[in-house]
Amino acid sequence: MSRNASNNILDRPLGFRATPAGRSSDVSSVSLSAFAYVYSELVQYHQGRAASISELERRLESAGYGVGLKVLECVAYRGKEMKRETRLMSILHFVSSSVWKSLFGKSADSLERSIDNQDEFMIVDYEPITSTFVSVPQDLGQLSADAYVSGIIAGVLDGAGFSARVTAHNVQVEEGENSRPPTNATPGMPRRTEKAVFLVKFSPEVLERDATLER
Amino acid sequence: MAAVPVLFVIVGKNEPLYEAEIDTSTGIHSSSSGDLSTRQNYFVLHSALDLVEKSAWTTNSMYLRVVDKVNHQQVSTFLTAANVKFMLLHSGKGEEVVKNFFNEVYQYYVKLSMNPFYKFDTPISSKAFDTRVRAAARAYLS
Amino acid sequence: MGFLHLFIVNKSGGLILHRSLGPRAPSIGTNDWLRIGSTFHSLHAIAAEASPVRLPKNKNPSGADDGIQQIEGSGVTLKCLQTRTGIKFVLTAEPGTTDIDTALREIYVLYADCALKDPFYELEMPIRCELFTSAVDNLIERLEQSKMSAVR
Repeated sequence: MSRNASNNILDRPLGFRATPAGRSSDVSSVSLSAFAYVYSELVQYHQGRAASISELERRLESAGYGVGLKVLECVAYRGKEMKRETRLMSILHFVSSSVWKSLFGKSADSLERSIDNQDEFMIVDYEPITSTFVSVPQDLGQLSADAYVSGIIAGVLDGAGFSARVTAHNVQVEEGENSRPPTNATPGMPRRTEKAVFLVKFSPEVLERDATLER
Repeated sequence: MAAVPVLFVIVGKNEPLYEAEIDTSTGIHSSSSGDLSTRQNYFVLHSALDLVEKSAWTTNSMYLRVVDKVNHQQVSTFLTAANVKFMLLHSGKGEEVVKNFFNEVYQYYVKLSMNPFYKFDTPISSKAFDTRVRAAARAYLS
Repeated sequence: MGFLHLFIVNKSGGLILHRSLGPRAPSIGTNDWLRIGSTFHSLHAIAAEASPVRLPKNKNPSGADDGIQQIEGSGVTLKCLQTRTGIKFVLTAEPGTTDIDTALREIYVLYADCALKDPFYELEMPIRCELFTSAVDNLIERLEQSKMSAVR
C-alpha cells in the first residue's frame, strides 16, 4: 500500500471502508465469523495470562474500555448534532441505542432501572455477539464472555463523565420472555438460553450531580 | 491592522494534549515561545479552564461559545463527547466562524482517535494532524 | 430407521467426542469408544493403502485423505466424513436411514461454529462444548421430525 497523502487516516472519510477500486460502500460490516475468531483469540490470549476468573473478566473489560472511549467520540461525531450527553438517562439511552446500533447493528433489548438500588441500571441483550459461539466450561463457572462489552459500556460512560462500574452477567431466559426469532446464529444452532445483563452501577458523585441538574 | 496570532490548544483531563500558535495572516506560525505576549496568552487560556468546567454541565451542546474575555481577547471553547476541551484564543472572530473551525478540527480529532496507535488523553504528536489544524485555522480564521 | 451414534476422531486417532443419538443406540462404554475410535482411524488408513486404485496424492475429490467412506452391515450403516485437516466425523445409523450425508455436513458446520470459534476449545482435544452437543441434538431432532412428516 502506498503511503501517499490521500491514504492518511485524517483524509479518509469516517465509517466508510475504502474498497480497492476507490469506491466506498455505505455499510461497512464485518462478518460474525471473522469477529468470533478474533474475539476467540483475544479471550485465549488473556486466559493464558490471567490467574483467576475475575482477573480474566477484568482483562476483557480493560480491552473493551479503550473501544468505548473511541466509540463515544465516533458515534457522537456521526450523530451530526454536536451534542454531548449531560444527563444520566440520556447517556444510558445513548449507550443502549446509538452505541449499540453502531457496534451491533441493533438496539439493546431493554434498559431497566434496578428496583432495589437507585444507582443501578441494567442493559439487556438476548444475543450478544461476544458469546454467540462460546461454551463456558464448568471449571470457569460464572465467567461471562461478554465482559468485553461491559468494558465498552464503562468506556463510553467514563469518557462522557459518568464514571460507573459495569459488570456482565449471564441470566437464564425465562419461558416465553423473548418471543422474537433468533437473528444472527447459524441455522440449526439452538436458541440461546441465556441472556447477557450488563449491570451499571454509577458512582455517588455522578448521581449527586444529576440530582443537582434536576433542579 | 496587524493580524494577531490565534492560539489553539486541546486540553485533556490533566494536561494539554496539543498546542498551536497560528499566524492567520501569513500562514507562518511564530515560534517565539519566550515572547511575553505568548506567555500571557497561555495564561489567559489556562485560567479560562475553570470557567469551562463550570459551564460544562449546564448545556448539552458541544460548542460553548465564548467563555472568557480578557481585554480584547476572547476564549472560545468546544467540548467533545468525551469532554476533551478545544480552546481557541482569538481577538473577536464571529461565533459561526469559530464553530466551523471547531467542527473541522473535531473531525480530525475523531479520525485521529480511531488510530489504534493513539491512546485517549495522551499528547498528540501526529504531524498530519498538526498540518491539517493549521490549514483549517488559515481557511476559517483569516 | 434412525440415527444411532456420532463419534469424532482427531487426526492422530484420538476420540474427541462420542454421543448416542437415539433410544435405540446400544450403550457402549467409554473405553470401548476409545478403542472403536482408534481402530476406525487405523482401518481408514489401511483401507486407502490396500485399495487397488490409488488416487493422486491419496486425496479424494474433496481434498481429504482417501479412506473408508461407508460401511454397510445388515443391522447398521456407518458413514464417515473426513475433513482436509484430518478430523473424521462418523455417524452410525440403522439401514435405510436417509440424510446421513446431510447430517454429517451439518455437523461439520456446527463443529466449525461451536467448537472452533469457542475460545475455550483447544484443537485436537475432546469436545466439551455444551453449545455443540445441544446443537447436534437439535439437528438430529430436526432431521428425524422432517422424516416423520415426509412419511405421513
